[in-house]
Amino acid sequence: MDVDMIFKIAAVGIIVAVLNQLLVRSGREEQAMMTTLAGLIVVLSMLVTQISGLFGTIKQLFGL
Amino acid sequence: MSISAVCFIALMTAVLSLTVRRHNSEIALVITVVGCIVIFISVLLNISSLFESAKSIFQSASVNSNYIAILLKAVGLCFMCEFAVDCCIDAGQRALANNVSIAGKALVLVTALPLYKDVLESVLSLTGGGV
Repeated sequence: MDVDMIFKIAAVGIIVAVLNQLLVRSGREEQAMMTTLAGLIVVLSMLVTQISGLFGTIKQLFGL
Repeated sequence: MSISAVCFIALMTAVLSLTVRRHNSEIALVITVVGCIVIFISVLLNISSLFESAKSIFQSASVNSNYIAILLKAVGLCFMCEFAVDCCIDAGQRALANNVSIAGKALVLVTALPLYKDVLESVLSLTGGGV
């Protein structure tokens, strides 16, 4: 059970949101955008491994 | 895994996703998808014993084992496609969802084609075998 993964992704989301707010308030719009993008890429790389695990399980179970 | 754990994970994922959505809607979507994956994998691992018993039941009823494999393949295809369709609808992409759904239907049809052929052959043999 990978329930930790949900918490991890939520934590990344909240941290990225806070960093984004901080950078926008201090007038660094580009860096804020880059931070959001980096957070999204990190989270997507986590998601891809999970999805491949799910599809691997389905393929193995149903003989696809 | 118990049903209470599934309900708890679903509620928790919903709350976390709503919290993050205000600031960062992409990551909210990822949270939802990962919650779906966690629940789905745990359910699949729990029902894996079901397949063995289903296979033994079918074999005791002397059904051709190829048919069972085709049936399981179709069910697996449906699960995968339904998952992708629901995620796309959550992301607000109805066009992608419809296309995945069409692809799933086509693939299930292709997978089940040998069954149609067998049914046709048996019908032909019952009606005298001549084409």
